[in-house]
Amino acid sequence: MESFEPQLSWYLALSAILFTIGAAGVIIKRNAIAMFMCIELMLNAVNLTFIAFSSFFQDVTGQLFVFIVMTVAAAEAAVGLGIIIAIFRNRESLDVDEASMLKL
Amino acid sequence: MSGLLFILFAGLAIGSAIAMVAQRNPLYSAISLIGVFIALASIYVTLAAPFIAAVQVIVYAGAIMVLVIFVIMLLNVEQEERRPRRLRFLVPAAIGMAAILIAETAFILYSVHAAGAKLPGPTSDVGLTHSIGVNLFTAYLLPFEITSVLLLMAIVGAMSLARQTNLLSSTARVVPGAQVLAMDIVKRRGKEDLTAIETETTDEAAHLMGVDFQSDPEKRE
Repeated sequence: MESFEPQLSWYLALSAILFTIGAAGVIIKRNAIAMFMCIELMLNAVNLTFIAFSSFFQDVTGQLFVFIVMTVAAAEAAVGLGIIIAIFRNRESLDVDEASMLKL
Repeated sequence: MSGLLFILFAGLAIGSAIAMVAQRNPLYSAISLIGVFIALASIYVTLAAPFIAAVQVIVYAGAIMVLVIFVIMLLNVEQEERRPRRLRFLVPAAIGMAAILIAETAFILYSVHAAGAKLPGPTSDVGLTHSIGVNLFTAYLLPFEITSVLLLMAIVGAMSLARQTNLLSSTARVVPGAQVLAMDIVKRRGKEDLTAIETETTDEAAHLMGVDFQSDPEKRE
């Protein structure tokens, strides 16, 4: 059972999988709120990497970074949902394909 | 034992993440995302980071997801409908680039695996609240303070974005007597609609524009 202890690479692999699912979701989804949630998933995947390295290398810095990333995610949620509500108020739709005024 | 726990929670996290992307209803996506957050919090506990696990549940699964679900319910978002696929010719290119990316990632993971870092025992105090607090208020005080400024900016930005602007534009005025207004002034969402609306009294005009106005002074509150 010695080799069945979780290795650092397991956590990194899980983080890579979650990040990839989140990135694919941002590309696939057309709903602004669903894209927003996929971005949250990507942030969480990065947090998992930070925590794994912090625990394996006995350094608290990674966990402090996670704390700050969570604060940034909360700020992003507030501003992002405000933008989504403003878009919905103007267009009656959350489809990002329709909000294309900045496209060349 | 901890290997079994890792496999359990990692499977839960990946399954919930795939369910989140596959769902067409945003509300179900949000609930699946909460599942991912809870599974990740459990993994943090097995990594001896109890403080971050608690913050993960409180801030992410609690505050942020409640806000997201609140907005979903408020806007009453409809399900995404299926659409014809575009750019079909890019699929082989996407598969090729994904294969290259997976090969690179596998190489990096193999190198990390070969280094063979070991999870330290339960004697470590790295993840405990005390050590995080001490470091947050000594060595990392400046980032902590900058974060507070960021939160203030987020509050102001969210308020200014979500504020309900006046129904009439600032140049439009309601004058007593006959009113002729283009429909796009009266109704913001009917941008292209230029039908003229005629009203006889100020009350009628105010009612049409949705402005709370009472011309009779005795009926005013």
